[in-house]
Amino acid sequence: MALLNSKTKAVLLGPLSKNNPVIVQVLGICSALAVTSKLEPSLVMAIAVVLVTAFANVIISLLRNSIPNRIRIIVQLVVVASLVTIVSEVLKAFAYDVNKQLSVFVGLIVTNCILMGRLEAFALGNGPWPSFLDGIGNGLGYGWILVVVGFFRELLGSGTLMDIQVIPESFYEVGYENNGLMMLAPMAILLVACIIWVHRAQNKELQEESN
Amino acid sequence: MNRESNVYTIIYSVVMVVIVALGLAFTHQVLSDKQIANENIDKMQQILRSLNIDASADEAQEAFSKLIQNAYLINDQGEKLDGTEGISPDDPAFSTELGDSSAEGMPVYEAEIDGATKYVIPMSGAGLWGSIWGYLAVEAEGSTIYGAEFDHAGETPGLGAEIADTPFKGQFKGKSLFRDGEFRSIAVVKPGRTVANRDYVDGISGGTITSQGVDNMLLESVGEYKSFLENLNAANR
Amino acid sequence: MEAINLIVRSIFVDNMIFAYFLGMCSFLAVSKNVKTALGLGVAVTFVLVITLPLNYLLETHVLKAGALAWLGDEYATMDLSVFSLLIFIAVIASFVQLVEMVIERFSPALYSSLGIFLPLIAVNCAILGGSLFMQQREFANVGLATAYGFGSGIGWLLAIVGMAAIREKLEYSNVPKPLKGLGITFIITALMAIGFMSFAGIDI
Repeated sequence: MALLNSKTKAVLLGPLSKNNPVIVQVLGICSALAVTSKLEPSLVMAIAVVLVTAFANVIISLLRNSIPNRIRIIVQLVVVASLVTIVSEVLKAFAYDVNKQLSVFVGLIVTNCILMGRLEAFALGNGPWPSFLDGIGNGLGYGWILVVVGFFRELLGSGTLMDIQVIPESFYEVGYENNGLMMLAPMAILLVACIIWVHRAQNKELQEESN
Repeated sequence: MNRESNVYTIIYSVVMVVIVALGLAFTHQVLSDKQIANENIDKMQQILRSLNIDASADEAQEAFSKLIQNAYLINDQGEKLDGTEGISPDDPAFSTELGDSSAEGMPVYEAEIDGATKYVIPMSGAGLWGSIWGYLAVEAEGSTIYGAEFDHAGETPGLGAEIADTPFKGQFKGKSLFRDGEFRSIAVVKPGRTVANRDYVDGISGGTITSQGVDNMLLESVGEYKSFLENLNAANR
Repeated sequence: MEAINLIVRSIFVDNMIFAYFLGMCSFLAVSKNVKTALGLGVAVTFVLVITLPLNYLLETHVLKAGALAWLGDEYATMDLSVFSLLIFIAVIASFVQLVEMVIERFSPALYSSLGIFLPLIAVNCAILGGSLFMQQREFANVGLATAYGFGSGIGWLLAIVGMAAIREKLEYSNVPKPLKGLGITFIITALMAIGFMSFAGIDI
């Protein structure tokens, strides 16, 4: 059995670029940009979102024929909230420091619009396997934006990557300075704007007509 | 069975709630030991940082048991309470939280660095948004600060949150809690200001209320240890 | 006094959008004209003002470690905080549902102007974010929690209305093609956020 035919492949890979949840669908920007001042929490956040999206998609897809329509939203929220609680418990047990840095933003994965968006738009109408791939794809599409933003903010803001100094000492001696502005929250948004700019310059069909 | 009927909806929600509750309770049970261990290690790391030692989570336990010679509770008069000694996480000195009304006393940690004894005392107070806490390492004579460590629950990033960063904490080393034999603690002032009769450090610009919180904490929390510190002073005169 | 201070701080210094980027999805989607932006802002404020104290009471009397002590000594050691996320979101979602039904029943006019935003609000990060920050910041009483909810809501409203006003004017400007729409909105948000940072340190 071919696990990836052309349709499922599109489901998995589409969200990485042409149908990216953050920069094209405009979903899920809320919860996570405040954690991107360092690469490590961005990575952990990305992984957490990939896992939660994938498994929430699978669970809702398995339940899709039994959920009463009236309490659909609540059922989805409960499934997502339980998964997120599990993720946060696991983080507390195995990555305590990162969990402290992420603080309330782990909990905010619940209201990450990507999750509800994908559950409503995809998992309720598709089988478990495509739903799983859709979850992974959208999680990754969101994750790579986060990681790119985290990469630049840490590199330019603190001169480190994963807390390891990468800008050599000799740079500082000739007058190079870390850009403190990068550590401030608005820079995350500005970096996403830059990613959008590059992405839309490449993919002309995504450009919008009006402001 | 009809998916939209009331009975089905109610049964469905009940079953879902039970499953979810069991699942979460189970996860919490399985992981709670590990979580408590992490919290203990985090506390050890904070105490070590007040002694200017930056230990990673793996080394913390070892460094802690090597450096901390003793830990015990003291009463209001600054006297050691018998039977409260011990530095393991289960001992009262480690598990007692400051400000807990049911606690028997207040914890003190004794560390030995390069042959000299330092005393580490915990502090707790309120910042702008929530609680702030920290540890203050004092030299054996009970007045000069050897090092300080602060942390917070949720101060504003980039402003109040900077109390947890080295530039702020580093200012404390060498300051004195006593002046002319009187307990004055250390003031946190607006950058550029000075205070006449106390030692002081610069607060965080833009983090006024958090800085005030630290100031209060240094006065009140450390003030509780006044008699203990005076006893140390007297012993070393 | 403390409550007023808290309100001012949560509107300007710790603005939900500009300091934490909470509620960005609807902020970006519904900020094209001032009128709808105002409607959504009011709805968000309303839901925050109600759900925050509700969750505060649940947190202090049911969920927190030792919060069940009022049931008797044997319950004093119980810690239900593992369920807090679940309970918070359930309260928010059911309240939103309730409001929707009540408004639809009693004021169809208001429903038609506000109704479309209500389902959006259940998954607005600013609402759950408010509750989670409330839990983290351990407010002293329910009044302060309400004040925080109100301030955060007004801050959110201010942000989205300001954004919508700028975007209405933006119609006439010549923006580089790849930045049209989403891109320029992001840049404006960042600039507004930097502007709001100058409020840091205000203190009443």
